[in-house]
Amino acid sequence: MKTKADIVIIGAGISGCSIAYNLAKRGAKNIVVIEKSFICSGSTGACGAGFRMQWGTEMNCRMSKFSTEFFENANDILEYDGDIELRQSGYLMIANTEKELAQFKKNIEVQHACGIPSRMVSLDEAKEIVPHLNTDILSGAAYCGKDGFLNPHKTTDAYYKAAKRLGVEFYTYTEVTGIRVENGRIMGVETNKGNIETRIVVNAANGWAQGLAKLVGVELPLYSERHQILVTEPVEPMQDPMVMAFNLNLYVQQTPHGSFIMGRSDAGEPRDLRITSSWHFLEEMAKTIDKVLPAIGKLRVVRQWAGLYNMSPDRQPIYDKVDGIEGFYVACGFSGHGFMFGPVTGTVMAEMILGLEPTIDASRLRLSRFAEGNLFTEPSVV
Amino acid sequence: MRIDQHPILTFERGRQIAFTFNGQPMKGYEGETIAAALHAAGVKELGKSLELHRPRGFYCAIGNCASCQMIVDGEPNVRTCITLLREGMSVETQNGKGRIK
Repeated sequence: MKTKADIVIIGAGISGCSIAYNLAKRGAKNIVVIEKSFICSGSTGACGAGFRMQWGTEMNCRMSKFSTEFFENANDILEYDGDIELRQSGYLMIANTEKELAQFKKNIEVQHACGIPSRMVSLDEAKEIVPHLNTDILSGAAYCGKDGFLNPHKTTDAYYKAAKRLGVEFYTYTEVTGIRVENGRIMGVETNKGNIETRIVVNAANGWAQGLAKLVGVELPLYSERHQILVTEPVEPMQDPMVMAFNLNLYVQQTPHGSFIMGRSDAGEPRDLRITSSWHFLEEMAKTIDKVLPAIGKLRVVRQWAGLYNMSPDRQPIYDKVDGIEGFYVACGFSGHGFMFGPVTGTVMAEMILGLEPTIDASRLRLSRFAEGNLFTEPSVV
Repeated sequence: MRIDQHPILTFERGRQIAFTFNGQPMKGYEGETIAAALHAAGVKELGKSLELHRPRGFYCAIGNCASCQMIVDGEPNVRTCITLLREGMSVETQNGKGRIK
């Protein structure tokens, strides 16, 4: 293990690996990534594998478009020896209230201004796209055929390998136990495997981010909660897009293997780091699916799991350096969409750390927005 | 083949009932599973493997594996080793992962 590094990144999910790659690609040297478990072991590895450009704010539209365009070429750009398994088979967003439908219409105007090929679809057309959809309970839908899926493990692996080729060192099964600060400046990182002297630390620990920040006496306005997913037995292909609903509270996709992966949010989850599974989720998920996509309700559940959402007050990430502790950067609070924003996270953070001209202005995602009361409210989050 | 005598188990066979296997009329007994009735009638191939489409037959017999999954009355992926035979059932071999409606 190195005893000195220029930059130490904590967390080797999509965010940490993308930040490491983007820093190294821009010429930064002596970069170390510390991961308390294995690569992609946290929220990235447990996520629903979708990415979408159908957002309700211009910044999220631009950021997701940037990420999508990267994903489209990621195998080549990252010179990956595998395949990130990109499938642009669409997202069908369904509304069951007039209010939600009106929001979709507003969102689409914002999306079109950003060059995103989304559109409103009639219920008949929605049924053509997803024949087993129960349109009787819906008021309308929106669709973007360029949204879709990719494999979170393979995508993180692609970033990890590309970063490694550029000289980044990864220390897995290594837990940060302390962060050394002197005179308001980062001086080093202590781990259970040894200490590393560094002037820059990047907190990309998502679910564990607020706990890490506490090591340097910083209170981030974040909490973590589990979000659960289940997977069914496989059947022949029958659903191309992700079906997603905010009000009805579900997202469901069919994997290339034929199984369905589905999840929903559960109000009142304990705010801690547990990723256990509950009966309650199975029951509520089954009820929702029976109502919205009844044919799938017949399928048997194979297993379920959970991952941590790292929730911020406005359900948007924080990309910033922390005032008062020079050299301490945070990229966390992803609130459930950290995987699909991976490319933008790496780019924004690398440019910020290296003092380069930003490709995308993400200053609205600064940490001080919460203290300023200047929240960045995105209408379309699960 | 049927086991008529067993040192521990007894078989209380119900009445004989009719069903179809891939459209062919078959006979079985009330109280036995679909797979048991097919086995007794000499049907060893219940389905095909997913990748190479090779024959798949009776295997775990307790509903844990996917070897005996068949289409029963139009419904795919029915585990015939734990599903009881009923009068008039339509039982078909399944190739692939099953299509649901």
